[in-house]
Amino acid sequence: MSTPLQVYEPFRAGLPKLGKYWKSLWSRRTFISEYSKSELREQHFDSVFGQMWLVLNPLLLSGVYFILIVIIGGTTDSARYVHLTASLFLFYLVANSLTGGVKSITAGQRLILNTAFPRIMLPISAVVIAIFKFIPTLIVFLVIKAIMGSQFSIEMLWAIPILMITLFLALGLSITISCINVYFRDIASFLPYLTRTLLYLSPILYEASALNPNLKALEIVNPLFPILDSWSRALVHGEVPQTSSMLQGLAWATGIFFIGTYFFLSREREFAVRL
Amino acid sequence: MSSLSASKLQKTNELAVSIKNVGLTYTTAIDRRPTLKARVKALGRGGKQTRVVRALDDINLDIEYGQVLGVIGTNGAGKSSLMRCVAGILPPTQGRIEVYGSVSTLLALGVGFNPSMSGRDNVFLGGLAAGMSREEIEGHFDEIADFSELGEAIDAPMRTYSSGMYARLAFSVAATVRPDILIIDEALSTGDAKFKEKSLNRVKELRSDQRALILVSHAMQTLRETCNDVAWLHKGQLIQRGEPNQVIDAYQEFLHLGKSAAIDEDV
Repeated sequence: MSTPLQVYEPFRAGLPKLGKYWKSLWSRRTFISEYSKSELREQHFDSVFGQMWLVLNPLLLSGVYFILIVIIGGTTDSARYVHLTASLFLFYLVANSLTGGVKSITAGQRLILNTAFPRIMLPISAVVIAIFKFIPTLIVFLVIKAIMGSQFSIEMLWAIPILMITLFLALGLSITISCINVYFRDIASFLPYLTRTLLYLSPILYEASALNPNLKALEIVNPLFPILDSWSRALVHGEVPQTSSMLQGLAWATGIFFIGTYFFLSREREFAVRL
Repeated sequence: MSSLSASKLQKTNELAVSIKNVGLTYTTAIDRRPTLKARVKALGRGGKQTRVVRALDDINLDIEYGQVLGVIGTNGAGKSSLMRCVAGILPPTQGRIEVYGSVSTLLALGVGFNPSMSGRDNVFLGGLAAGMSREEIEGHFDEIADFSELGEAIDAPMRTYSSGMYARLAFSVAATVRPDILIIDEALSTGDAKFKEKSLNRVKELRSDQRALILVSHAMQTLRETCNDVAWLHKGQLIQRGEPNQVIDAYQEFLHLGKSAAIDEDV
């Protein structure tokens, strides 16, 4: 054994060697799937009632918001309800990634202090868990759509690229917020307010087209706005979403992902002393 | 008692870990929980939010295969920091560490990172995070469960474990997965007398020419019996290293003298 297997030297600020990092991350991909599975099992989502709760929870939520819409807006339009459920379920994919991601690093303290591994696995796992929670709601949505007599069409397939963009955004947000929470532990407590605000700023309780022109700025500053708008157009109305909206969503997702990942990777080597 | 100490194992002159001029300095938050609120409140005052800790200072240490190195020192001496550097968890801020072989990355203590999951899940996740494959862990799992004597408790959430059960599982993981370089950080001095005896025997079994063992412990008698080399750290510096009895005697003498000893300036 003449050449060292591992060499540890001081690191300069900046990124680790990305090729090596990726290799080490890829070789641990089973951790991500196992971790998500154990986490879901621990939350009893492997049982029938657990699965039911997974579906029931967003269903009740959408019911509550629908009552709100009926009372405030006075509309009993079934399309509104379909729009609300579709948007709310996608929104919860992002919100769950955020709530799961925010504490992923601080909760993994024991592991981080005692094992060398790419720390980014933890926020990625949080997104995977959110995806597992999202899948049953997607099925529920399709059932609701059928019951409400809403048309199924080929344009609905546009939902797939939109979902990809959403996942990319969710991943970026999860990585970013997990890193921020190491330095500011109270971010986790602010998060419910943040997601609640995001919920009202997004076209969920209302449709994007119904938005007062004076509030157009919302569209620009909210990364979820163009994504949810496209999602609703494709899934609810069976339209081809606007290319500009999808590109805007993609730009947001890319930006957040790369900036967040850069921060994460350049900081993660000092997480062990920050925890 | 000293007749036991110089174990029959010979150093092989084959390098396992080479630690050269390693220093570790880090800034840590003064508050235990750094928060945005505290930061905002301190804005006007401009007070310092962090303090610099010098955990390791110019450490030089070569560890060869066949060596059983005991690491001793008072609390805060830098023992765990040094181990974390060797395991690649903390990159050093100075110097260079070369590792020639696979290290048990303190795997043992990573087990139980999620207290609401079962012991089984924690063992698997700890192993996967350390880079082992599912099959590898499965291959070792029965032995781990057996050795830990946890019985059915292995499938209970780890938050229900007593600290002894916790330690037993951690030690079992460390002692069963057989890396080239095994670090056991204070896991020896836990558990009841029976388990202590059992784990001590296991450590003795694990000594071999093909392995380097590093034991961080406060159990001096154990170290005298198992190690063939001892390093004494104090305030981030390597004070003495050599024949176990000699170093441990010096350390114990120092402990009795207390902090007034001029040993800080000696090195």
